[in-house]
Amino acid sequence: MTTPAVYLAQDPTLADFGHDPWWISLIKVVAAFVFAVLATLLGVWFERRVVGFMQVRPGPNQVGPFGLLQTLADGLKMAFKEDILPKGADKVVYFFAPTISVICAVTALAVIPFGPMVSMFGHQTPLQVTDVSVAVLVILAASSMGIYGIVLGGWASGSTYPLLGGLRSSAQMISYEVAMGLSIVAVFMTAGTMSTSGIVAAQAGSDRSASLGGFEFFAPGWYAILLLPSFIIYFISAVGETNRAPFDLPEAESELVAGFMTEYSSLKFALFMLAEYVNMVTVSAVATTLFLGGWRAPWPISIWDGANSGWFGLIWFFAKVILLVFVFVWLRGTLPRLRYDQFMRLGWRVLLPINLVWILALAGIRVLQKENSDAVRWGIIGGALLVILLITLAWPDRRKQPPRPLQEQVNARPQGSFPLPPMDLVVPPSPRARRGVAQRQPANVGGGAPDVVDTTSTEEKED
Amino acid sequence: MTGYLGSYATLGLLLVASVLIFVGAFTANRLLSPADPAEPAGKRATYESGVDPVGGDWAQMQIRYYVYAYLYVLFAVEAVFLFPWAVIFDRPGFGATTVVEMAIFVAVLALGILYAWRKKILDWT
Amino acid sequence: MTNIALAATVTTGEAVTFWILAPLALLGAIGMVVARNAVHSALWLVLTMLCLGVFYVVQAGPFIGMVQIIVYTGAIMMLFLFVLMLVGRDASDSLIETLRGQRVAAVLVGLGFAGLVGTLVARAVGDTTAVGLEAANQNGNVQGIAALLFTNYVFAFEATSALLITAAVGAMVLAHIHKPKSERLGQPETMRLRFRPGNYPAPKPGPGVYATSDSVATPGRLPDGTLTQRSVPEILPTRELSPRETAPKGTEK
Repeated sequence: MTTPAVYLAQDPTLADFGHDPWWISLIKVVAAFVFAVLATLLGVWFERRVVGFMQVRPGPNQVGPFGLLQTLADGLKMAFKEDILPKGADKVVYFFAPTISVICAVTALAVIPFGPMVSMFGHQTPLQVTDVSVAVLVILAASSMGIYGIVLGGWASGSTYPLLGGLRSSAQMISYEVAMGLSIVAVFMTAGTMSTSGIVAAQAGSDRSASLGGFEFFAPGWYAILLLPSFIIYFISAVGETNRAPFDLPEAESELVAGFMTEYSSLKFALFMLAEYVNMVTVSAVATTLFLGGWRAPWPISIWDGANSGWFGLIWFFAKVILLVFVFVWLRGTLPRLRYDQFMRLGWRVLLPINLVWILALAGIRVLQKENSDAVRWGIIGGALLVILLITLAWPDRRKQPPRPLQEQVNARPQGSFPLPPMDLVVPPSPRARRGVAQRQPANVGGGAPDVVDTTSTEEKED
Repeated sequence: MTGYLGSYATLGLLLVASVLIFVGAFTANRLLSPADPAEPAGKRATYESGVDPVGGDWAQMQIRYYVYAYLYVLFAVEAVFLFPWAVIFDRPGFGATTVVEMAIFVAVLALGILYAWRKKILDWT
Repeated sequence: MTNIALAATVTTGEAVTFWILAPLALLGAIGMVVARNAVHSALWLVLTMLCLGVFYVVQAGPFIGMVQIIVYTGAIMMLFLFVLMLVGRDASDSLIETLRGQRVAAVLVGLGFAGLVGTLVARAVGDTTAVGLEAANQNGNVQGIAALLFTNYVFAFEATSALLITAAVGAMVLAHIHKPKSERLGQPETMRLRFRPGNYPAPKPGPGVYATSDSVATPGRLPDGTLTQRSVPEILPTRELSPRETAPKGTEK
């Protein structure tokens, strides 16, 4: 972790946390909840407006300016609804499932750095609820506990659709949780720390600028650029982890009604929705923190010295988060839902192996840069070559079998199969085709119609 | 309160606050929701797209989920070993030896996923 | 004694956390044994494990605390939950002992194990001179663990992977049933089964919709003209409109 001295004045370090007076902690905690609710209210509106724009329709535009209050109206409506407890439900677990979801979602939000040190009522305090030396692990723990909310919600409903939805969802989330956890390893390797504020500082520390032919080039130290494969894997697994389209299989409307939420109503349903949107914002915020430089200003703006100080950090942070949330919505508006087997194959056969290989390759590269002795260097290169060779040798060869002739395939069918038409069947032209031709004739040509009938029905006459 | 425990105490405060918020929200819901709702037949029946529920109210899941849960345990443990390794592997005193140690560890676990792959266990049929 | 020496360093925050969470952890453990429903039992265990995770964190082991939550509470308990759901939610334990003398043996073995762990802990604590947290966490908690893990305990670490992989392969072999192609039912077989005598191949008849009624509660007619109740969902006939619902709503004109 190399932090340039320039940044030290604003950069919160781990030592800055845990010294707030209790009332500042309380303000921050309440702010986290307010942010969660606001993110949901605006997130739903944003999503509906953007998807509406992509589908060339207005989206919600009646309640409030630009329909901004639509979600608030819907949310209030939820509170006025009766809470129906299904007959087969397990009362206690049914009650706790949505609260588990929400608590886990908000806990992950608490370790995200929103900005640098600011002055709050005369106290110097970091713009972050709290940071600990294992902050990223707190996020992972929260998301792995969040799975309970969904699997228990599905189970406690005592109904088939929710149970299947909950199981699917949890299998999906555990699969992508693995990919997500491994993609973060590369960040740890480069940053050398697990605290979120430390990772933001480390990214700022790895900015490079070089001058070439009189031009000053600037390469931001964003891990999205340095660790591109990890960023891509993280983002894909984040979409899978939050059950968003195109990976929204647990809520596949056409198959499972609404998945684990089917039996939920009123406030509890609202809580599940809250958790879903907070999760979407949280994974975007984590992606911003780990890969996109956190609250620091992007390059052209960062030339201005004041950009990274004080409350300005919030602007850059939210801009990046909104950009990522927009990508989430964009994906939903563009891609069709995957089939479950395709989805699991992507997680276990593509993301996971690439991740493992990438981590070891990165480790090799970094050690190569540091090692000075030739023996170790050639040892690593030789080892890498050996691994590649072994993989090539062990790769299952999939030679395509030559296609069998048609008659052979027909003969191979079992007794009593559905009868096939004769192989040399000549299909008569469709009556619709004739009509099409007739309509294409110019309307004012007299006597054209018999011609048409003659030419197209010769084959029929022969039969 | 020390700095170390203070950071975690904030997380504890978050949990307490969320409990309070939930108590408030559910109380509000109880007060606002209809006081004497109708109870038509079938209102609390299990939802199955409008037809009568068939069979019991739970379905047995497939054992396939168990295999995936096990693979999750496997890779969660692997990730947990990778985390401390990632933080220290390029510090002085570790270097290539540590990388090789981890490569062996990952390779052994990769054998597992390779086995599952070849046995077609990862095929979700 | 060591206990007194340890107690002297306990801060207020640590003590408060302990006295709140220790009863909760104990409650979880008792609840796990007492609960009738297997899934509830697992959830009680989750509570205990969460409390343990917090204890680790409070005792200046943040990494191991998070690992406890991610691996045990998250992954392993999820595995348990899946297994319990495999059995089905209504499957409660039967109280009939299938193995005779099982309880006595369980109590004896349990006592023996407790004694073993007790002496082990007592000896480990008694012989060790504490170097203090500052020395252990000198370069950070995670770094300290890593430094030990990849130097002194590297063989245990590699052995873990072998153990994990053995268990994983075992689980896969036991749980995975690969049906060869010859055992799969083909389309002709499926159709024959469907149309075998005694099986009603078509879907349930739809409700009758006639000129006089378009209600789904109207029974449909079979080909021979008789009405069939099969077409009417069970919950429907009990529903009747109240006078308020049938009264004109002032919109018809």
